[in-house]
Amino acid sequence: MVNLLTRAIMMSTPLLLGALAEVYTERTGMMICAIEGIFLIGAWGGFVGTYLTGSLIIGLLAAILCGMVMAALYGIVTVYMKQQQVVTGTALNILAAGICAFFQRVLFGVPTTPLQIATLPKIAIPLLSKIPVLGPIFFQQNILTYLAYVLIPVAIFVLYKTSLGLTLRSTGENPEAVDVAGLNVNRIRFLTVLVAGAIGGLAGSFYTVGYLGMFTSGIIGGRGWIAFAICFLGNWNPKGVVFGTLAFGLADAVAIYIQAVSGHTIFPNELIIALPYILTIVLTIARSNLSVPAKLGVPYAKEN
Amino acid sequence: MKKRLGVPLYNIGAVLIGLVISASLLLFLKLNPVEVISLAVKKIVSDGYTLGEILVKATPLIFTSLAFAFTYKANLFNIGAQGQFYAGAIVAIALSLALGNRVPQAVLLGIVLVCSFAAGALVGGLIGFAKSKFHANEFLVSMMSTYVVSALMDFLLRTSLQENKAEYLQTDAIAKSAYLPTILPGTRVHLGFLLALVTAVLVWVLLYKTPLGFRIRAVGYNHSAAELGGIRSGRIYVTAFLIAGGLAGMAGFTEVNGVQHMLLQNFNTSIGSFGIGIAILANGNPIGCIFASILFGFLNVMGTTMGRLPGLNIPASIIDLIEGVVMICVIMSYFVRKAAETRSEKQRLKKAGVK
Repeated sequence: MVNLLTRAIMMSTPLLLGALAEVYTERTGMMICAIEGIFLIGAWGGFVGTYLTGSLIIGLLAAILCGMVMAALYGIVTVYMKQQQVVTGTALNILAAGICAFFQRVLFGVPTTPLQIATLPKIAIPLLSKIPVLGPIFFQQNILTYLAYVLIPVAIFVLYKTSLGLTLRSTGENPEAVDVAGLNVNRIRFLTVLVAGAIGGLAGSFYTVGYLGMFTSGIIGGRGWIAFAICFLGNWNPKGVVFGTLAFGLADAVAIYIQAVSGHTIFPNELIIALPYILTIVLTIARSNLSVPAKLGVPYAKEN
Repeated sequence: MKKRLGVPLYNIGAVLIGLVISASLLLFLKLNPVEVISLAVKKIVSDGYTLGEILVKATPLIFTSLAFAFTYKANLFNIGAQGQFYAGAIVAIALSLALGNRVPQAVLLGIVLVCSFAAGALVGGLIGFAKSKFHANEFLVSMMSTYVVSALMDFLLRTSLQENKAEYLQTDAIAKSAYLPTILPGTRVHLGFLLALVTAVLVWVLLYKTPLGFRIRAVGYNHSAAELGGIRSGRIYVTAFLIAGGLAGMAGFTEVNGVQHMLLQNFNTSIGSFGIGIAILANGNPIGCIFASILFGFLNVMGTTMGRLPGLNIPASIIDLIEGVVMICVIMSYFVRKAAETRSEKQRLKKAGVK
């Protein structure tokens, strides 16, 4: 059971990072519909960087860079060219899949054995990791998980207690007011998307650098979209995102657990996997006080 | 007044630019793009079967792109075509397995067609209902619905629909009498392709020549203005999603009964998202969807063919690269066209002012 929860926390890490990034951009009025592609290219960049240099740090930096390039392209088309976010995201997700598979072949040809890299080491935090039950679950993880722990309070603080956070939230609610205050709405949105791209790339690299040690084209398998969903489920709020991530992480772990215990039975395991999605739908329908940003998905055009 | 360049011209230009960019990426593999492409095209053209594959691949894409385009006209986003397609596929396989060899082919295909449309429409209609009744974000609900339907499909494939051998997560093959007949000998092109063409034309008629289509487009342009004009936008949301879902459901029918003849896990996972790209390429025009789908079908076959060229080592996934680049170019072309139009408009106004 402890193993299961350790795994649940581990697998929640990239989802949490991605969802936090998504919360920030959506608060400025931008949905990152390219998140699946950003995850994928981050996973690939992390793998290639690590494989070619042998350094995990360079791998992580490469993942961040790849994520930012993808996000920059997304930002240029959606923020400055004012095109549909959903559509642009769809195109970039497909493009990312193509880029990764194609350049994987360019760089490595068709290897006879799968290319393998060392993964991020598990770091046991002194003292804390000795706490019974909780220690192994929370404090024997890799550096990205700890980064996620740190980012949660930072994200909450910045969004609600600083003037930067206020600006970001206003950009999504009332961009005209932000404009009148002398700030550049489009630049704020673009820079937020870039930062989100960096975090999204890092989140994606978790799957290669932090966990599997190899790259396959199906490695993300819709998990970027899960991060996207968690942002909605968490009501565009970093705190809510933590609970949303736990809901998805637990459902995943429980489904695996039940499958392992009961084998192939009639028990609808798939229902448990679908449960967080159903929950997201129900919450979207049931809650009238959703704090969905007023200008979510609407490009800003200055009147002149 | 100066004649304005139409959308198709910009789109075709963008597609060509996209093709050139993505083809030149072959240089990374130290290959001559012109040689490789002409080799691949020659291979496709010389072989009737492969040529037919273009239409086979285009068939479900026509349906899923229509499913996106239809709601798009009402300014709604139906991201859930994949789930509606699965709903149609589940019903198609269940009915075909149950009725195969028991009822005449034409009757069976008719029943399956209607029921798979209904299954997709049910999923779509629920999304539209959530939108109209609870003001839920249709984009989010439709996206989540795909995962729910796909979980349901996995469950059924593991239990009641699983093959008799119970080895893989797939169904038994359907009886020959439940196949959609092939229409071109020597290929896999089936009746579903004609069905897709007819459907696209019908959707065009519905959107542009009927009162319902007018209402849908009116809501899309400006839903508050439409409300003032006596159109109940809530009803339009439900209707548009019902029809869009049904269209995607029909893709389930043609893929199960026309191509795969069974249902398996992770069945055609990307036709939903390609549908979105195609609908945008066609600027939401149903007739344009046909041509854009055939283009994507061609690119798809091209990718596979290039992947099979001996000794060149091109990954078949180059298709994603090509389609992604083409889609981005088309999206950018909408921006370029708008900018060009604004500029010429401004110049026209200036001239008028000087007079």
